[in-house]
Amino acid sequence: MAMAALRREGRRLLLSPTVPNPAPAAAAARSSAISPPEMTLLGVRSISTQVVRNRMKSVKNIQKITKAMKMVAASKLRAVQTRTENSRGLWQPFTALLGDAPSVDVKKNVIVAITSDKGLCGGINSTSVKVSRALHKLTSGPEKESKYVILGEKGKVQLVRDSRKSIEMSVTELQKNPINYTQIAVLADDILKNVEYDALRVIFNKFHSVISFKPTMVTILSPEVAEKESEAGGKIGDLDSYEIEGGETKSEILQNLAEFQFSCVLYNGALENACSELGARMSAMDSSSRNAGDMLDRLTLTYNRTRQASITTELIEIISGASALEG
Amino acid sequence: MSATTAAVPFWRAAGMTYIGYSNICAALVRNCLKEPFKSEAASREKVHFSVAKWTDGKQEKPTVRTESDE
Repeated sequence: MAMAALRREGRRLLLSPTVPNPAPAAAAARSSAISPPEMTLLGVRSISTQVVRNRMKSVKNIQKITKAMKMVAASKLRAVQTRTENSRGLWQPFTALLGDAPSVDVKKNVIVAITSDKGLCGGINSTSVKVSRALHKLTSGPEKESKYVILGEKGKVQLVRDSRKSIEMSVTELQKNPINYTQIAVLADDILKNVEYDALRVIFNKFHSVISFKPTMVTILSPEVAEKESEAGGKIGDLDSYEIEGGETKSEILQNLAEFQFSCVLYNGALENACSELGARMSAMDSSSRNAGDMLDRLTLTYNRTRQASITTELIEIISGASALEG
Repeated sequence: MSATTAAVPFWRAAGMTYIGYSNICAALVRNCLKEPFKSEAASREKVHFSVAKWTDGKQEKPTVRTESDE
């Protein structure tokens, strides 16, 4: 693209000095009369390499930025990854105790989509938005309703486009400080107080490795639904076999457990997603600095070739002029 | 401990969720720490995010939560 423009410009500049000019004053008058002012570059013989040089400079700057971003993401990732791996121990007992019920069919579904606030991190936000959309389609029906609670700016931007009516809440600026449990607990408290639900479905990108993230859904049942499920048997039914201290009834215990499970799952989900975001940003920035390097190589080649071409032309002109004088 | 034996725990009657209750308890425990552990733990209870509710496809004014005020 830039090369074509350059070539065109080069040809034009090469052509302009070949205009026969018997008398300089007359030629100047004629050329200003015939051609537009930018064409009157008399005496310019070489091709302008300014365009390529500017472009090379900007590509070099972009490469520097992407390299720096990659470094930042890599150093942040290490801290977040340990926290994420530690936080997995929070929800695992719940899954062991209550089980996971992804296929449960209830009236009020609330989809909690966890996305990131910042972009430039590959496709992780669109993945979780895509899964949320599919789930929304799956769970909405004539007598059912499903709502979104969105964490993160990027998911909000994508979901506003086609399902703004179903958005119930949106939360941003979550990652200003490093994610901690207190913060997520306050947030989970806010969500529980403001949203009516039968089942909460938390969607996030689970971190497997720096290059692999799996979109994951965790279902949290409301105490009433959980009680119904436990009567129907299954994993929740085993709750009766536990000995419980204190005088709470089963429904109270289930309510406390469901609330605490939600905050734990949300904490783990937010951390996993932050971890995936950093990993994705690392690989995205790695490939973009590699692309910038490739581009720079190509541009350098063009630049050198054009420069050499102009030198060759000048040499030919001088030599042929000299031989004409001799002969 | 007498309150927990009642039919409804006092914090549930006050309109709190289990999360809010356990958060207050956790803050109390953290306050019992000695320095330097106390300031270290305090860095783990920083709260900052902004919540916006939506009605009829419109975003309402977001409210920023900065400290654990519950």
